[in-house]
Amino acid sequence: MYIHPIISAAEKVLVGTEKLNGTQIAAMTIIGLLVVFCALLILVAFLYGSGSLFKKSNSAKPPAPKKPAAPAPVKQAAKPAAPARSAQAAPAPAPAASAEDDAEVVAVIMAAIAAMGAAEGKQYQLRSVKQVTRGGGRSVWAQAGLSDATRPF
Amino acid sequence: MQGVLDFFSNTIGGLWGDSGLHALFAEGGWKNLIMILVSFLFMYLAIAKGFEPLLLLPISFGMLLTNLPMAGLYHPELWVLVDGHVDYGTVLRDGGLLDILYLGVKLQLYPPLIFLGIGCMTDFSPLIANPKSFLLGAAAQGGIFFTFVVAGILGFTAAEAGSIAIIGGADGPTAIYVSTKLLTGGGAITTGNIALAAYTYMALVPIIQPPIMRALTSKKERSVKMETLRTVSKTEKIIFPIAVTIIVSLLVPSAAPLVGMLMFGNLLKESGVAARLIDTAQNALMNIITIFLGISVGATTKADQIINIKFGGVMLLGVIAFSLGTACGLIFGKIMYKVTGGKVNPLIGSAGVSAVPMAARISQKVGAETDPTNFLLMHAMGPNVAGVIGSAVAAGVLLSVIGN
Repeated sequence: MYIHPIISAAEKVLVGTEKLNGTQIAAMTIIGLLVVFCALLILVAFLYGSGSLFKKSNSAKPPAPKKPAAPAPVKQAAKPAAPARSAQAAPAPAPAASAEDDAEVVAVIMAAIAAMGAAEGKQYQLRSVKQVTRGGGRSVWAQAGLSDATRPF
Repeated sequence: MQGVLDFFSNTIGGLWGDSGLHALFAEGGWKNLIMILVSFLFMYLAIAKGFEPLLLLPISFGMLLTNLPMAGLYHPELWVLVDGHVDYGTVLRDGGLLDILYLGVKLQLYPPLIFLGIGCMTDFSPLIANPKSFLLGAAAQGGIFFTFVVAGILGFTAAEAGSIAIIGGADGPTAIYVSTKLLTGGGAITTGNIALAAYTYMALVPIIQPPIMRALTSKKERSVKMETLRTVSKTEKIIFPIAVTIIVSLLVPSAAPLVGMLMFGNLLKESGVAARLIDTAQNALMNIITIFLGISVGATTKADQIINIKFGGVMLLGVIAFSLGTACGLIFGKIMYKVTGGKVNPLIGSAGVSAVPMAARISQKVGAETDPTNFLLMHAMGPNVAGVIGSAVAAGVLLSVIGN
């Protein structure tokens, strides 16, 4: 015999067309919140359980071979104080850094400062470029990226 | 000659009698006029202010179409129950375009399909990485149940109170799903009322939430920087939707259509082997359903069903539901702040009300007001997506207990 799976309205605790009394309201609120919390607590427990399992299995794996160390970043790239008369003239002075990458970094910084100065109608001199080592948290680039991604909000 | 004049006057009189303009100036026509103006307001909010335009624009245009007298696109009389059932044969035979589209709402097809698309677009990693977020998603559902108390005290019936309360879940498809199931008795409140209130307040989340967030938290609490979340493996992401479907469906079977489709969409996404299906579900299918859902829900906002005192009550209770949900999430966030010794920023609690991703954006925005270097967005996404699951569970509870 086929049993219809849908429970009819008559079998439900509250009849939709009837007004509620105090007991029904209180019971519905308490039970409703309890069920939601219980359901989500079970999911929390499941996630903690599965999470710890995955952490264990990950830590059991042999560590991946280390990549060769990246070239040292710019420590200090001092350069002679050259008058930057315009945005075009600004990149002219040669940086003191030896590596080609470092020179490119300094050139980019100089170009950015020159562009900023041109926009403001001011002239700036770049006297030195130093890498700032932060105590912790996100790097400047990560912060800039996050700011960019979250600005519309 | 007289005959010709009579023919002309009768024809023009007949045309005038059949025109929408005549109906607009007939008795009760002013209500349609007001609803047309309200639809203009919604269009303005969607187009000029950018408030949930993908939803408000179809809803507002549906509202315009349905309130143009004599257009005959939607007929509320076709949805009146006959012997406890809708006569779908009559709907198919005599219904207008929007009646046919409304079938998807009435048969509860659209909300689970929307959830499928949402599942494809949702990244549950912040929630998997920080499972405590689930508790904030659960706490914010307090808005639903406390509003149920207020609605019950104000004398609404059980079905009406449940439908109004679910607005506090801040989830449009869930609100439509619950209200369509519960409000079948032909009462003063309709699914259109509930959907209109839900989407209005969802669009107004950026205005409703921040004052409550600032009022309930101290500057010290708002400036808490949370630890970076751990990386979640692909296997965890694949297991998550399957486990959630099984656990939630076994506990609250009424929530299975919503949670099941949400998690199915997410499994498609995380499996990485169904690119074509994901593309369809999150783009073409989602867009089609959004258009159909929006315009047919808008069509249910006939002037007679909106301009009445009960709808005023729905709107009032709707904003109470949203505010209570926000407050409950924040208060639980404050409890977690205390328990963890200041490691949790209570602002992420308000994101537990669903309204993905707007509520998480608001947490980010209010946090950044206090400290521009504080980025709470990903931390808030945890409670935010937990809120979607939480509101679906709460919906399941309401549907399990309340008959129609």
